[in-house]
Amino acid sequence: MKHLWSLGVALLCLVSTLKAQDSLKVGDLQEIVVTGTGTQNLLKNVPVQTEVISRKMLDSYGGKSIEEILAGLTASFAFSEGDMGSQMQLGGLGNAYILILIDGKRIHGDVGGENDLGLIDPHNIERIEIVKGAQSALYGSDAMAGVINIITKKHTEKGVYADNITRYGMHNDLRQHNTVAFNIGKFGSQTGFQLQRNDGWQNTAEEFAEAMVLTDSKNKTVNQFRNWQVTERLTYKPVRDVELYADGSYYIKDINRPQNGTHPSCDVYTYDLHYRNASASLGGKWYLSGEEGTVRRNYLSLDADWNKHEYSYIYTAKHYDYVLLQGEEYGDQNGEWFSVAMLPGQKKLQSDQQRAMAQLKGIFYLPYENTLHAGAEFRYDYLNAPDRTDSGSASDWTAAVYVQDEFNLLSWFNLTAGLRLVDNRNFGVRLTPKVSAMFSAGDFRFRLGWSQGFKTPTVKELHYRYLHLMGGSTFFNIGNTDLNPQTSNYYSANIEYRGRKVTASVTGYLNKLDKMIALVNVPVGEIPAGVTTAYLGDGSNNVQARMYKNMDNARTVGVDVTLSYQVYKDLTLTAAYSYLDTEANLYNASKDRMETVTIDGMAHHKWSASAMYTHTFCPRYKLGINLSTRGSSTRYYQNNGNAQPFQIWRINTTHDLGKVDKMLSYRLELGVDNIFNYVDRTMHPYHLGNNTPGTTVYGTFALKFNHGKRVKQHNVSIKSKTNDEED
Amino acid sequence: MKKIKSLIVAAMAVALAAPMFTACNKDDSNSETIQNLVSEYSVNDKMVAAQKAKSGKDEAVLLVAFGSTWNNAFLAFDATKAAYEAAFPNADVYVSFSSDICINRASAGENSDDEGNIVRRDYYEPRYLLHAIGAAKYGKIYVQSLQVIPGEEFAAVVASVKKFMNNGYIEKAHLDDEYLKKLSEDEAIFLGMPLLDKPDVDVPAVAKKLNDLYANEAAQGVVAFMGHGNPDSYDTFKANKRYQQLETELQKLNPNYFVGTVDMPDNYKENVLERMKEKNLTSGKIYLHALMSIAGDHAHNDMAGQGDEYWNPMAPESEDVSWYEFFSHAGYEAIVPTKNGHPLGLLELEEVRKVWIGHTENAEFLEDAYHSMYPEAE
Repeated sequence: MKHLWSLGVALLCLVSTLKAQDSLKVGDLQEIVVTGTGTQNLLKNVPVQTEVISRKMLDSYGGKSIEEILAGLTASFAFSEGDMGSQMQLGGLGNAYILILIDGKRIHGDVGGENDLGLIDPHNIERIEIVKGAQSALYGSDAMAGVINIITKKHTEKGVYADNITRYGMHNDLRQHNTVAFNIGKFGSQTGFQLQRNDGWQNTAEEFAEAMVLTDSKNKTVNQFRNWQVTERLTYKPVRDVELYADGSYYIKDINRPQNGTHPSCDVYTYDLHYRNASASLGGKWYLSGEEGTVRRNYLSLDADWNKHEYSYIYTAKHYDYVLLQGEEYGDQNGEWFSVAMLPGQKKLQSDQQRAMAQLKGIFYLPYENTLHAGAEFRYDYLNAPDRTDSGSASDWTAAVYVQDEFNLLSWFNLTAGLRLVDNRNFGVRLTPKVSAMFSAGDFRFRLGWSQGFKTPTVKELHYRYLHLMGGSTFFNIGNTDLNPQTSNYYSANIEYRGRKVTASVTGYLNKLDKMIALVNVPVGEIPAGVTTAYLGDGSNNVQARMYKNMDNARTVGVDVTLSYQVYKDLTLTAAYSYLDTEANLYNASKDRMETVTIDGMAHHKWSASAMYTHTFCPRYKLGINLSTRGSSTRYYQNNGNAQPFQIWRINTTHDLGKVDKMLSYRLELGVDNIFNYVDRTMHPYHLGNNTPGTTVYGTFALKFNHGKRVKQHNVSIKSKTNDEED
Repeated sequence: MKKIKSLIVAAMAVALAAPMFTACNKDDSNSETIQNLVSEYSVNDKMVAAQKAKSGKDEAVLLVAFGSTWNNAFLAFDATKAAYEAAFPNADVYVSFSSDICINRASAGENSDDEGNIVRRDYYEPRYLLHAIGAAKYGKIYVQSLQVIPGEEFAAVVASVKKFMNNGYIEKAHLDDEYLKKLSEDEAIFLGMPLLDKPDVDVPAVAKKLNDLYANEAAQGVVAFMGHGNPDSYDTFKANKRYQQLETELQKLNPNYFVGTVDMPDNYKENVLERMKEKNLTSGKIYLHALMSIAGDHAHNDMAGQGDEYWNPMAPESEDVSWYEFFSHAGYEAIVPTKNGHPLGLLELEEVRKVWIGHTENAEFLEDAYHSMYPEAE
């Protein structure tokens, strides 16, 4: 076996001398990506097409949130912010079908299927990799529309690092970021803090409710929110080829809803929303071969992590809640559904989703230009929802093994194939394959791919049962343990050119989804007996019982184009365009029948473009200007009207002050978002094309302290101070 | 260096202990719920004790309705309370809502009065009020269901009265056992039955009273009543049958009467239409009335709603289509008789209200009431 490894390494060395693209080391200027295959590849040569938002683009754009960054720097995403988090779409598909990773680990917790993107600190992003289409063979559940991998900044060099970034804008918008990191000997520590808050805003006081147009609705376009997070990551290198880490995070988010409304059917709220998220992980990497700093090293990694996502109400007025009293301490009322009067300030847990995962992964650079990526994964999900499940809690587990091989069959031809075998408590065994091929000709790459995706029914979809008040309507949602996974087949073709000054890429795709889960109207008799009286709603409508079913199917087809042109050293132009068409057989709950429609929120055309200018006037001052625009054609919806097309312009200026090689460096950012004050004032609850409040001015002050290591800024090459803190 | 190492080890321990800090403690949540229960029992207890001290009366009548958020319904409950106070001069009368959502929304002010002012009303839950009546040690208690049929909601009323007599509360809210024992020995707790309780007595009586009121309309066209009804799977006590029995009794007086519902299977508006057509009533006037204790959302929207919002040409039988639009589009002249701009609920018809009051006056001691609540064998 050892010989085989040695042979492989020897071959690799040989090949690497022949192929310039393989001779790169980590940290070289050419971008290395990991998301498409789980292995390190040069962006240019990655077999699965990957879109990258680089640190340079992030710094130049000055986005306040991941939503703003993805919407502004690509053309593929569409967002609308709601009470329950960010409603994100990629290629016409919603958040539930997009897998979001932070450093390769899936983020956890949803409310109504929407991930909370506040978990991502916009100022702690090194780069973002986006791989579109089904990636379930590698990543498992949810990777149907694509994978977004947020690579965070890691301060791993010797010495001490600290920074403070404060961004303030209109609507009392504050984004705070702090890092303290140090590396001494074999130990490293990085502590992070972030805070995001905004008072919210109201684009219109008009609301259609109670069968008329109210003109004094207090509902906001975006509600007031505040979230903060602390993170800690510890690393330890006991021996040369082993890296261990432990990390943890704690996160709180509050969404405050209007308290001055006068129409209980739409704008009177008796509780606010409160989220609490925590994580802890442990893991390590064991390098089996290769030199530190090189890319192609065999390794094994083991990760174990635990995540928790709590969703609670915090009451703002006295409010009767129908609660199942469970516990000996209730005495004679044990087991009774009872009206409990919740008082202002009290908190009540709605759901606590916990997940424990363990993942073993190995990357092996095998002979004959094969790269093998294999792994095993176990995932356990636990849901504690005292008032929303039959017995108060529910669980699910999934075990999986997967394997993927990247085979450079010829110098100009790569074939990558992968397969995942999944065993789930409910639906049993399932195989998910993928195949892709890449042809190289000079600076051109042609890629073809077919892959399958799936989404495991969530514990909520399996076991939830709760009363849901939406506007004036009352629903009783019921889980279904007979659900099958949602499935998809994704076909894509891509041509890409990456020259020295110009890069261009065109991708066409077809994504066919089947067995999509929808909430389907069922007879009200499906509501469990014994909970009916209080659940009969407010008498305004018959309460509508709805059950999760594998009901819908959909087809999306689209073309994505990206262009980048470095006009001269200081000026780069980029543009992106996305065409999308969708057709879906969807269940229409208000009409109780299947309809062939476009997917809600789809726009045929979306685009973004930017001009990035940077110039170093003197060693003490560097200017950056980023002028960008983004837009969308009409977004289509089944109900509540289509959303207006829009185009928004933005300017961000950056000012780097002070000598970059000093211990302290400063940066100022000033910007204007939505320069031409575009505001969509469509009345509630009809759809908005964009929920911008209009022209928004903001400023950022950043301060970085660096003792004992290199400050990297804007690819400006500088000499580092010598590190005198070695032990 | 050593210090730093210990610091790191400590930090690592903190990171790993994070799950313990955040683990949900069910006992905590239960103890808070118990506090809330105790506090709400106490709020109700104090309110009732104050009323008893003020009036000096030793009898209590607890009226249990599903609830509403409409001002005209609040006024109907006020009038009913006043009528009960007149009929039971020795009793304090309390009105309660069994629907939490109605209580929440009524207190938030869902609707406005006829002048456009938002109306906010605080209503209480029957189980808390009954506890409070017990805590105030009234010597005689009447619990009167304001339901129309002895169905699902009525079953909950029965259950709460039985719970009360068995002192089935959390320990901190236990009532005085001696008091409950005496109440039982004195046979002083009464359960008043819903409007259409006895098929051979109440149904013909109510039919006659309705005919007395609407004979004129029935002479001019169809008179259709809209009841609520129970969905199939929890048609408790088979009480849906009452609607058919009422229609039969009414049609004995005039074949132009029909009784449909919003929730009883095979007795929706389209089924009413079929039955009308079977009797060759294919056009002309149709008068629409609510067969519910008050005229709330169902009466205003599901029955009387007018305009495109209440009509769906693709699915005329959809529950979003109002009776008004449904029958108008079916070729009839739909008419919703109103008073002060609102359809009327049964509690607003004095003669019908008297049937309820009669049920309270003739209410049986709980045990017998329990046995007699089944409408009849299948």
